[in-house]
Formats: sequence, C-alpha cells, structure tokens
Amino acid sequence: MAKSKLKKTFLEPLGKNNPVFVQILGICSTLAVTNKVQNTVVMTLGVTFTTALSAWTISLLRNYIPSRIRMMVETMIIAAFVIIVDIVLKAYYPEMWKQLGPYVGLIITNCIIMGRVEAFALNNKPLPSLVDGFSSGLGYTYVLLSIAVVRELLGSGSLWGVRILGSWWTNWSIMIMPPGGFFVLAIIIWIIRESIMKEASHA
Amino acid sequence: MSVQRSFYKDRVYPLLFMFITTLVCILLTSGLHLLTLERADANELSFARRAILQAGDLEFENTTEGIERAYHQQITEEVGYYTATGTFGKRYIIPLEGPGLWGTIAIMVGLEEDLQTFSGVAIVSQNETPGLGARIEESWFTAQFKGKRAPFTMVEEGTASANQEVDAITGATRTSEYFKNLTARVPAEAQRLIRGE
Repeated sequence: MAKSKLKKTFLEPLGKNNPVFVQILGICSTLAVTNKVQNTVVMTLGVTFTTALSAWTISLLRNYIPSRIRMMVETMIIAAFVIIVDIVLKAYYPEMWKQLGPYVGLIITNCIIMGRVEAFALNNKPLPSLVDGFSSGLGYTYVLLSIAVVRELLGSGSLWGVRILGSWWTNWSIMIMPPGGFFVLAIIIWIIRESIMKEASHA
Repeated sequence: MSVQRSFYKDRVYPLLFMFITTLVCILLTSGLHLLTLERADANELSFARRAILQAGDLEFENTTEGIERAYHQQITEEVGYYTATGTFGKRYIIPLEGPGLWGTIAIMVGLEEDLQTFSGVAIVSQNETPGLGARIEESWFTAQFKGKRAPFTMVEEGTASANQEVDAITGATRTSEYFKNLTARVPAEAQRLIRGE
C-alpha cells in the first residue's frame, strides 16, 4: 500500500500532474533558459535539487512551523538551498555560472518549488515529500529539455554547443530569442494535451 | 495563565522560530561561501585575465592553465593598464567601467599603438537583461570593434557597413546606447592612463 502510494507520488508529476504542461508553473525559467541545452541541464539540475531538498526539509519541520509565518520560513529555506547551488556553481563551474547569470538566483522564485512545498510537503511525511519534489523536478526537466533541443537545433543548428546540422542549414534566429520559447512551449503543450492527455481522460 | 500561553504561542514562538531558521541558513551558506572563497576568487581573476587577452586579440588556449600561460608570456602589467608585445608591435589594454541599464558594465579595451584603433573589446562583468542586453557578451558583438576607431554609431542589427558603424542589439536599444557611450570614452581614457595627460 505504502509502496504503491509512493510510486504514484513519483509518477504523477511526470505525467498527468506535470508542473509545466498541466499546472503551467515555472514558465518564466522555461522560456528564459531553454535556448541552449547546456544551460537548461544546469538549470533543471538546480531546480530538481532545490525542489527535492526544500520539500524534504520543510516536511521535517512541518509540525513545528507556526502557520502564520510558514511562507517566510519556506522562502528562507528555499533561498538557502539556491544560494548553495549558486556558491557551488561559482566555485566549480564558473563558466556555467557566468552563462546562467541571474537565473540561478531566480530559482528561488520558481513557482514549482513553492507550489510543491505548499501543496504537498506541508501535509505529508518527509520521504513522500522528497519523492514528490524530486519527481516534480524531473517532470520540469524533461519538458524543458525537449524545448531546449528543438530551440537549439533550429536556432543554432547545434546540440550541447556541437554543430549537428551542416552549413546548408540557415539558423532560425527567432528560436533562440525569447519569442521562440513561447512558440515551442505552446506547441508542445498543445501536442501533449491534444494527443496523450485527451486519450488518458477518455479512458 | 492561558493569556500568557497564547502570548508565547502567537508572538514569541514564531519570532524565535524564524530567528533560529535564519541563523541556521546564514551559518550554512556563509560557511560554504568561506570554504569556496579562494576558488571563486581564482576564477574571477582568470576571467579578468582572459578578458585582457581577448581585448589584446592574443591567442590563448581557453583553459585555466592556458589563460595563465598566455597571460604571463604576453602581458606586462603597468600601473592602471596592461601592455602586450608581439609580431604586431605593441598593444595597450585598458580597463573601463560605466553605467549599463541595470548595473555597471566593466570592460577591457585593447588598443593599437596609435591609442585610437581598437584591437578588441571584452566584457569583464555586466548585469544586463539576460537574452537581450546580456548579448553584449557574445563574440559576434565584441568582435565588431576590432580594427575600428571610437566613437561608433550603433545601427540596426545586421546592417553595419561603414567603418565606424557597429550592429546594435535588437531588443536592447538602451544597453547598446550605454555601450556606445562607454566605448566613446576610450580615446580620452587611454591618453589619461597611458600618457598621463
């Protein structure tokens, strides 16, 4: 029983309760960092790490946090984890840190993290909360990666900075500019909702 | 009795809880910061040195060691500026800072011996809008200044043709403008720093 529940907690954010294409959370970073696969990977790792660990920490403290100040406490804990990500990147992956610039700090405001903490971690035990946070991060990751692959391939003709398409390819500059993010995200949400999600809801 | 209890529960406990949470978070993050400070500073220095090499249009291998090696071989540190010598003769590299849209833009500018012609421009730090103004870091943008003389005119992205024209960044008119103003100060600044005038 407990195991199947945990499995459900793990699977839901990957599919029918995906934070990006169902809950439409975390869209700002989805649009902002997906023009290069490399940046996207680091961003999603940061978000997954922060979502999982802050959900776990807050779930541990959930019976002690006074409900009136819970949002302050949550923000403080999330911010601490994000700063840890920032410091580690700055020291060990400076190039990446420079590229991501302010986005790392903006993980704090990623709605997915606060959303999962409020909706799940405050009412559940630490282990399920950790699983929920982690898999919400994964759900965010694979959607962002698919957007990033499309955008980088069409916009720069490359993947992970390595040129894939030959010189015959004309880069679609709009793909690496902000509007490209809107287009690809909208198309992906549309495809998923029209095909996969529709079948699921009929069944 | 019950009044006191609720006073503790409603006022003291939340305050205490927040205080302790904050303290723990600060201790954790500042501890980690201090632990990695040395590394972060070294990275910072390496970025600055790479900017100097780029501004001087010098060849180097883009690794920490490569930057160090090329820097020590080719760059001489003077008071307030840097010089590079090679087959091209002598180049001067000066640091410069000016306002941007959100914060300070710090750059390195390389100049040929006439102190007028640019050999290159490199960004040391900036806080411009990601995806828009922050594109001043991209190499197509900085490469445009090579071989040209300030002051520049910013024209629509992709249309620069004349000798003093450079492409502005679409969607970042203000940043482009600030960058133009910053580079316009270069000749005077170079005279002041190098010739002491």
